[in-house]
Amino acid sequence: MTYILQRIAFSLLSLFVLVLISFLLSHIVPGDPAYVAAGPNAGAEKIAEIRAEMGLDKPVATQFFIYLGDVLRGDFGTSWFTHQPILQDIAQELPPSLELVLVAMVINLVVSLPVGLLTARFNGSRFDDLVRLVSIAGAGLPIFWTAILLQQKVAADWKLFPVAGRLSFEHRRFEGQTGFTLLDSLMQGRLDVFFDALAHLMLPAFALALLFTAVGVRITRTSMISEFKKDYVTLARAKGASEGRVMFRHVFPNGATPALTVFGMQFGWMLGTTVLVEEIFGRPGIGRYAVKAVTQSDIHGVVAVVFVVGLFFLVANLVVDLLLYAINPRKHLEG
Amino acid sequence: MLTTPRSYPKSWVEWTAIVIAAIIVLTAVFGGLLAPHDPLVIDFRAKLLPPSGTHWMGTDGAGRDVLSRLLTGAQLTLLSTLSVIAVVLVIGCTIGIFSAFVGGWVDNLLMRLADIWLGFPPLILALGFAAAMGASLQAAIWALVFSWWPTYARLSRMITKDILSAKYIAAADTLGVPAWRKVVLYVLPNAFDVLIIQVTLDIAAVMLAISGLSFIGVGAQIPTPEWGAMIADGRDYVRNGWWIVIFPGLAIFFTALSFNIIGDMLRRELDPTSQRRA
Repeated sequence: MTYILQRIAFSLLSLFVLVLISFLLSHIVPGDPAYVAAGPNAGAEKIAEIRAEMGLDKPVATQFFIYLGDVLRGDFGTSWFTHQPILQDIAQELPPSLELVLVAMVINLVVSLPVGLLTARFNGSRFDDLVRLVSIAGAGLPIFWTAILLQQKVAADWKLFPVAGRLSFEHRRFEGQTGFTLLDSLMQGRLDVFFDALAHLMLPAFALALLFTAVGVRITRTSMISEFKKDYVTLARAKGASEGRVMFRHVFPNGATPALTVFGMQFGWMLGTTVLVEEIFGRPGIGRYAVKAVTQSDIHGVVAVVFVVGLFFLVANLVVDLLLYAINPRKHLEG
Repeated sequence: MLTTPRSYPKSWVEWTAIVIAAIIVLTAVFGGLLAPHDPLVIDFRAKLLPPSGTHWMGTDGAGRDVLSRLLTGAQLTLLSTLSVIAVVLVIGCTIGIFSAFVGGWVDNLLMRLADIWLGFPPLILALGFAAAMGASLQAAIWALVFSWWPTYARLSRMITKDILSAKYIAAADTLGVPAWRKVVLYVLPNAFDVLIIQVTLDIAAVMLAISGLSFIGVGAQIPTPEWGAMIADGRDYVRNGWWIVIFPGLAIFFTALSFNIIGDMLRRELDPTSQRRA
């Protein structure tokens, strides 16, 4: 119980730091935001007027608390290029990004967990060496470059997957309640739309997952190796348990838990990395929104994305940690 | 520790990585001089030429020689990567060592802050920072410094705490050795190995981040021959000029790969806690 309270307190502290970072980015770093907002031809009076309007003539601490209040009410300002409240934009762009990250995460887990387990079991073998080399190579690939190559080869040349977009032209009128196309199509029993959406997700998700899988395999391997060295494994083997049973019943559940913490963190990192992928594949999402906001010098739009990604990062970590606690409360007493 | 045996390459993979890294470093030093053509001169009569004897890697959409841009860009890309790491190393280690020496609630607060900071996706944090500063390579460099310092703060703090608990520090305390001398004499030499591993591995990560930021338009701006910006520039021509996109990507990939392999090797040889050695 103390652990849970401590963990939640840490999350609240992190949230405060997140707001502080957003404040720094939108109010302090850009120099004089009033000067920027007023435009290049504004006179000194006009700038002073805008400064007062934006509350920039108040002390920094006051500005911060005003900002904190705004953020807690979900007020991120109005976008300079969509002319909508930024919160509304984000709410619209978030589901496609989350969908992308979830599919990428599934790819990551499906590869990392078994490969990590096997390389740990055959630690030091040729297979282990090969996987290590491949994962080091994967960690060196620039995601945006891989994404372009996949799009050109696999989609445009080989026509295995759609080149860009979220749905095919014939499904362009498809509308759902949640904004998650995969979920909406299932709820409406539209399997054709479901598979179409999935096909559009495969390449971007794969490009996004590569780097994270390269890291995931190595993390899983490290955590599994330390499990294989423990006494209970020796005992299980001495009792005559089959190697398969040792691997899947004993080592896997214990070794997977510490790795889960890293996968929880990867969730937030992936959401942040969508900025490199979504634009290339012409998918809507907060990544593409952030890139657009940057090119339009809409600093509040960018900061809102930073904030939302950070928020998801905090929540994902909190959920994973509480989940691990629920599975095995004893671990936290020891350490 | 300084007395541990120095690292040595074990396989042809590691030898290849060292050779490639050496070539890349040399290219970064002499890059501009080796370039057969001017990397910035536009010549529309020579645009989109495929690789040939005169243009080994072809020309881009404005008729600039891709090889010359790549060689000149090596300097830019590597130099900006190293400046990020140098600044982060100094700032991070100062915070970390300070935190370990002061201890108490200051230490607690700084490390909590580093923990939280470390968690945020570096790319998105850097994107926000670069957007706030206005897009330029310099902004991207500062943006990465802004998001990368906690790694080194945590690492140096851990090492310093470890050393401060040693018996010879207690002896030094009795002799009245001042804190700065303890840092110079004991902390820095002992931290060297761990830091050099982290630096080698971070070269790849920082380089990927810089080129990523340049690719989405908040780093180096397009005519600049930075590798990420070159890929962004080549995107429009990818159907009829694959070489504009392929070569800078390969350059990034091989640089990152070779430094990662070297970092992996250093960790195996220098880090006593490494799993591989046992």
